[in-house]
Amino acid sequence: MSQSTVSVKTYAFTLLTLLGLTLLTSLLGLADLGRFSFVAAVAIAAVKASLIACFFMHALYEAKLVRVVMAGGVIWFLIMISLTLSDYLTRGWMPFPGK
Amino acid sequence: MADPSVLALREQFRNPEQQRETSTVGMWIFLVTEVMLFGGLFTAFSVYRMSHPAGFDQGSADMEFWLGAINTAVLICSSFTMAMAVHSSETGKKSRLAVFLLLTILIGLVFLVIKFTEYYLHYHDQKLPGILFHDTSPDAAYVQMFFVFYFLMTGLHAFHMIVGEGVLCAMLIRTWLGSFSERYHTPIELAGLYWHFVDTVWVFLFAIFYIPGAHLK
Repeated sequence: MSQSTVSVKTYAFTLLTLLGLTLLTSLLGLADLGRFSFVAAVAIAAVKASLIACFFMHALYEAKLVRVVMAGGVIWFLIMISLTLSDYLTRGWMPFPGK
Repeated sequence: MADPSVLALREQFRNPEQQRETSTVGMWIFLVTEVMLFGGLFTAFSVYRMSHPAGFDQGSADMEFWLGAINTAVLICSSFTMAMAVHSSETGKKSRLAVFLLLTILIGLVFLVIKFTEYYLHYHDQKLPGILFHDTSPDAAYVQMFFVFYFLMTGLHAFHMIVGEGVLCAMLIRTWLGSFSERYHTPIELAGLYWHFVDTVWVFLFAIFYIPGAHLK
C-alpha cells in the first residue's frame, strides 16, 4: 500500500509548468493586448486550474463517481455564466424602434 | 500502537477503500458549493466589467501588479508542498509529512502577509470603496465598483486561506500524535483538496484583477 498516486517527478513538472504560465500571463498583462488581455488571462488561468485539478488534486486518478461530481461543478458554473453573459453580451444587437 | 486504519474504519463502511471514496466524494461536493459561491461573484464581476470596461481597466491599473504576481507564485509553491505532503502520507513517511505540512503553513502565511501589505497600500492610496475613496477621473464610480469586487473576492479568498491554515495546523498536530499511516491518511488528502482549491481560486483572481490593466501603469 506504500504506492503514491502521483510521482514526485510529475508534481515537480506541474509546479514548473504552473510557474511558467504565471510568468507568461504576467508578461502578456504588461503587453497591450487591448480587449483580449482579459480573455487571454482567463484562458491561461483555466489551463492552470486544470493542471492543478488533474495532478495536484488527483482528478485524473479518482473513481468515476468523484469525476462526475467535479464535472457537475464545472458544468453548473458554465451554465450560470453562459446564460447570464448571453443576455448581457447580446443587448443592443437588435435595433428596437424608439430605443 | 494499533494500526490507525483499523481504528479509523467506521462500522457503516465495508472497507477502508470505500470509506476513503465516500469522504472524497463528500469533500468534492463541498468544493462544488464553493465553486458556485466564487462562481456567482465571478459572473457578477464579468457582467460589470463588460458594461464598464474603461473604469475596470483603470481599477486594474491601480493594483500592485508585482506583489500579485509574486503572491501567485508563492501560492503555487505552497500547493506543491501540499502535494508533497500528500505524497509523503501515501508513502508512510511521517517526519517528511510533518515537514511539508509545516512548509505549506509557512508559505501560506507569506501569502497572507503580502496580501495584507497590498491592502495597506490600497488604504494608503485611498482606494477603500465607500469609506476612503479618492479618484477624480470621469470613471471614478466604476473604479470604485472594481474595488468593491476586489475587496469582496480577495477578502473572501483570504478568509478561506485563514481557515485552510487552521485545518493544516490541525493536520500537523494529528501527524505528531500519530493519527496517520500509509493505510489511513484521508484527512491529509482532503485538507490537500481544499488547499489546492483555494489556490485555483487565486489563479483566477490574479487573472481578472491584476492582468487587464497591467499595461496601463
